Amino acid sequence: MMHLTNEQLIDYMHGELNPQQDAAVFEHMESCEACRAEYDAELSVTELLRAYAREDERELPSTVKAAIWSQVRSARPPVWSRITEWIRPAVAVPVAAAIALAAYFGTSYLGPQGVPSIEAGYYLQDHQALNGTIPFNDHSGTPADLMNASPVDNQQAAVVVPPVEYTADVSP
Amino acid sequence: MFRRSAAVLVTALLSSALIAAAPPADPTALLRDAVAAYSTYSYSGQVQNTDFGTNHTEAVLFRIEHRAPDMTRRWYLAPEPLFGDSIISHGDASYDIDQHNHRIIFTKDDALDDQVAEDDNFGLLLHNYRATMGPDEDVAGRSALTVLLVNKYTGQTTMRISLDKQTKLVLQKERYSPSGAVAEQMRFEQISYTKAFPAALFSVPSAGYTTIQGTFHGLPSNDLRAVVKTAGFEARGPQYLPDGFLPIAGDVSDIKGTRTLHLLYSDGLRSVSLFQNARGAPLDASHYTVRPAKVGPHDAKYLEDGSMTLVAWAADGLHFELVGELSREEMLHIAASVAP
Repeated sequence: MMHLTNEQLIDYMHGELNPQQDAAVFEHMESCEACRAEYDAELSVTELLRAYAREDERELPSTVKAAIWSQVRSARPPVWSRITEWIRPAVAVPVAAAIALAAYFGTSYLGPQGVPSIEAGYYLQDHQALNGTIPFNDHSGTPADLMNASPVDNQQAAVVVPPVEYTADVSP
Repeated sequence: MFRRSAAVLVTALLSSALIAAAPPADPTALLRDAVAAYSTYSYSGQVQNTDFGTNHTEAVLFRIEHRAPDMTRRWYLAPEPLFGDSIISHGDASYDIDQHNHRIIFTKDDALDDQVAEDDNFGLLLHNYRATMGPDEDVAGRSALTVLLVNKYTGQTTMRISLDKQTKLVLQKERYSPSGAVAEQMRFEQISYTKAFPAALFSVPSAGYTTIQGTFHGLPSNDLRAVVKTAGFEARGPQYLPDGFLPIAGDVSDIKGTRTLHLLYSDGLRSVSLFQNARGAPLDASHYTVRPAKVGPHDAKYLEDGSMTLVAWAADGLHFELVGELSREEMLHIAASVAP
């Protein structure tokens, strides 16, 4: 029996395999104890590394902390911050109200266990995507991403290009 | 004089005999040619697409430039919020250029490259639908042949496709609901065949826009047993499906940390997707008008997006979303039959 490579196991762990590969690895591990053990070992190493990283983040060396605090204490507030200091209460109250509202409405989209909601548009788009191989099903209706103020963002949205002046001709 | 009249008569008789001897168009062969035409011909034109929902109708008008085999740009002219926006497609990659918000949404759909699945689904279409010729007509100034797709089980015409007589490109397409009303229509308002497109037309702007990674759809699997195994929970499936429907593809994806199983069922023309997750991720339908419904004893949400419908409900610790182009009654019937 062929065993899974370390790379396959790591990709599987991070959910980076395509569905077929993912299914194949899952199925293989169901019947192969050696690979399952290897996977569990990889998993525990990853967990250890994560725990170590968390620990590391928590404890900065005391000299570094002292240096940071010294910088903070000695820094004079910039002119603009002194000017805006007196309007702080006027800003703070509406900001606090906005945060409270955002928290209320934001969390109302969470499920009972705090599970994030999934936009209906995602299901509609995913249905159309899987439909791509059905003849005469090239749906050219309203593009939801362009119509809605925000795109369907159930996947991680990654900013790739910062906005700068656009020069090419894009007008119809 | 007599001789000339006789010659004209003979010519007319010969022509009519030739016309009578011309073999009738084979609708199945025409459909095959229509599927291939998109990757064969380059063209420029204007298209109107209308989705007739139960509660409202959505119409979209766009200019299209297509360079065979797979580069397309659509410029939206209407409705007003879309004016100036465009979509550039390079094969399975798509760039939605949002002129108003200076952003590009990049999406990828690997299924579009799956030739084997396309052939399988075309076979399924021919298995479940009878293709018959309709009357010839003119669409966008071009002579068109009409093919009707009649469901073999219900006897209803489900789709009417008008193909350019010369190129077999689909110039008009109407999908009918079970009541016989038009549910969706696509129609070229004008078209001209040309390859003379500047390369810049299909180039994606690289500056001035923020690029957002949209949804990436991997290649779905047709090994549904293996897909279901990776779901991580005891998946369920519909015990009832309309005649001719088969499970054809599936995948498992992580959406905001929720492992979601997606199974697609189709009869080769219509389709329905069943999504399920065990984490209890609720549906955010804030962009849609939601109506209450019942799936068996369970409360459900029902919404429409053009000709597509969605039913969402929860049962026995699982959350389900059913999406398709079927009627509300059909959708609720399928939903109520979902069982282990």
